[in-house]
Amino acid sequence: MTETGNMTDTSSMRPDAQRLSLLESVLSAANLGAIVLDSERRIVLWNRWMECHSGCPASALLGTDFFTLFPDLLQQRVGSAIGQALRDNFPSLLSQTLNKAPFALYANAALRGERMQQAVAITPIDVAGAARHCLIQINDVSNAVGREKLLRDQTLVLRTETFLDGLTGVANRRHFDMAMEKELRRAKRVGSALSLLMIDIDSFKPYNDHYGHQQGDACLIEVAATLAAMLQRPGDLLARYGGEEFAAILPETDAAHALQLAEAIRARIDALNIHHAHAGAIQHITVCIGIATQNIPHPVDSGALIGAADRALYLAKHAGRNCVMAQGPDEAQSRIAAA
Amino acid sequence: MITLTEIEHDALVEIFNIGVGHAAASMSAIVNEEVRMSVPSISFLNRAGAAKLLSNKDDERICGVSQHYEGAFNTEAMLMFPENKSLEIVRLMVGESVPLKELTEMEQEAMSEIGNIILNSCVGTLANIFQLELRGSLPLYHVGTSAEILRASGSADDTTVLMLHIDFILEKHQIRGYVAFILDLTSLHDLKHQINCYLLRLTGST
Repeated sequence: MTETGNMTDTSSMRPDAQRLSLLESVLSAANLGAIVLDSERRIVLWNRWMECHSGCPASALLGTDFFTLFPDLLQQRVGSAIGQALRDNFPSLLSQTLNKAPFALYANAALRGERMQQAVAITPIDVAGAARHCLIQINDVSNAVGREKLLRDQTLVLRTETFLDGLTGVANRRHFDMAMEKELRRAKRVGSALSLLMIDIDSFKPYNDHYGHQQGDACLIEVAATLAAMLQRPGDLLARYGGEEFAAILPETDAAHALQLAEAIRARIDALNIHHAHAGAIQHITVCIGIATQNIPHPVDSGALIGAADRALYLAKHAGRNCVMAQGPDEAQSRIAAA
Repeated sequence: MITLTEIEHDALVEIFNIGVGHAAASMSAIVNEEVRMSVPSISFLNRAGAAKLLSNKDDERICGVSQHYEGAFNTEAMLMFPENKSLEIVRLMVGESVPLKELTEMEQEAMSEIGNIILNSCVGTLANIFQLELRGSLPLYHVGTSAEILRASGSADDTTVLMLHIDFILEKHQIRGYVAFILDLTSLHDLKHQINCYLLRLTGST
C-alpha cells in the first residue's frame, strides 16, 4: 500500500482512534463555532471556525480558564448560561436580538471591523469518566439580520408616508405619539435627558380670519419648514401636533440646552417677519414655546411630559406673546416614582 | 385526575413564583429595565381543557416555546402566549420600532430565548428544591392553534396538564400567558411524592 502526500493513513489505526480522527476532522470542517469547557470552565476545545473568526489559535487558549480570557462575559447571559449547563444540566439559547454579539468574532478576524451577528446555544455534555462539560455553539446570523433590516427599512419608508402631515410635510400626530413612547423608553434605558417643546403660533386665528385659509396654510408651511431646518440632529423630531401647534422631541437634551434652542427658534420665527396686521403691537407672526424636560433618575410618562410642556406653553401665552417658558416635570403631578 | 391538598398546592405555587422571579431577574438584566413576573394560580386540566383555556376561539393562533425535561420525572414544558401577545412581549423586550405582522426569524429566536429563560428557571427551581437531577433539551418554537401546539408533544387527549398562569409586566404592559407541563401518570405521582418529601424536609427541619 502506498501513502499519498501528507494524508493520514487511517487503515492502520485502531477503530477508536479512527473514529476520533473522523470526529476531529468533522469539528474542524464544521461551519459553526464550537467551544467546549470542562467542569472547571477551562477551554478544552476551540474549533477551526473559532480560530478563523476570532483570530486566536486553539494552542494559545486550550487549558485556560474561559472567564480569565473573557472576563466581561461572566456578568452577561453567557456566564449564567454556562453555569446553568454545568450545574443544572440545562441548555440555553442566546438569541442575536437579545444578546448583541457577545463574542469578539469577525467575518475577517484580521480586518476586525464590526462584530459578526451571533446566535448561540450552550448545552451540557456528558463525558465518560469526567465531570459534566459544556458545549458552546455559535452560528453566524449576519445574513439573516441584514435581510430583516432591509425588510424593516423598506416597511419604514412605506409607513413614513402615512406618518407625515399632508400640509406641512413634517411628522403627523400619530408619528409623534409613537416616537414619544419610543424616545422616552430609550432615554430611560440609556439614562439620558429628553426635552419636549410645544410651539404655538401666536394669534393664528385672527391671521386666518383676516388673510384667508390659503395664506394661513402658507404661513403654517413656512413656519414648519423653518422649525424643521433648525431641528436637524439625528433623533430630533418635529411634528404638527394639531392646528397651529407643533411639537419637537429632543433626545439627549437637558433643560439648559432645550431653553437655548427654544430661544433660538423663537428669535428665528420672529425674524421671518411674516406680516400680521392683527397680532397686536408686534405686527408679524411670532410663536410661544413651552419646554418640559425629563431628567434621569426621575422618568415620567409621555402624558406627564406633554402635560408639563402644555402648562409651560400656557404660562408663555399669559406672559405675553413671543415668549419661551420652561416647566420641570418635577412640577408635574403625575410624576412616576423612580423604580 | 390527580388532586393536591391545599398545602401541596400552595407549596407548588410558591416554588413556581420563586422560579419566575429568577426568570424576571435574568430578563431585567438583558433589557436593563424592570421585568416582573408572577404565577397567580395553577391548575390541573386534561389536554383538551388546557387547549380551551388558552383560546376562546378555535382558530386563534398561539405561540409556544417547548422544552423536554427528563430524569427524576419526565415532562414536556411549554410557554404559551396568544400570537399578538408574543409579538408585544418580543417587541417590548427588543425595543423595536417598526413592528411587522408576524415575528421575524430573529424575533422567533428571541421568543425562544425568553421561553428558555422562563422554563429553565421554573424547572430549575423545582429541581433544586426537590433536590433532583433533570436534563433539558433546547427550546423549540411553535405557532398554531392551542390544540395543535399541545398535541405536538405526542401525548393522548386525556393526558394531564399542569397549567401555570403567568403575568409578565414590562413598562406598564401586563401580559398574561401560560406555562403548561404535560405529565404522564407516573410523572404526576412522582411530582406529588416530591412535593411531600419537600414538605417533610421543611417541617422536619423546624
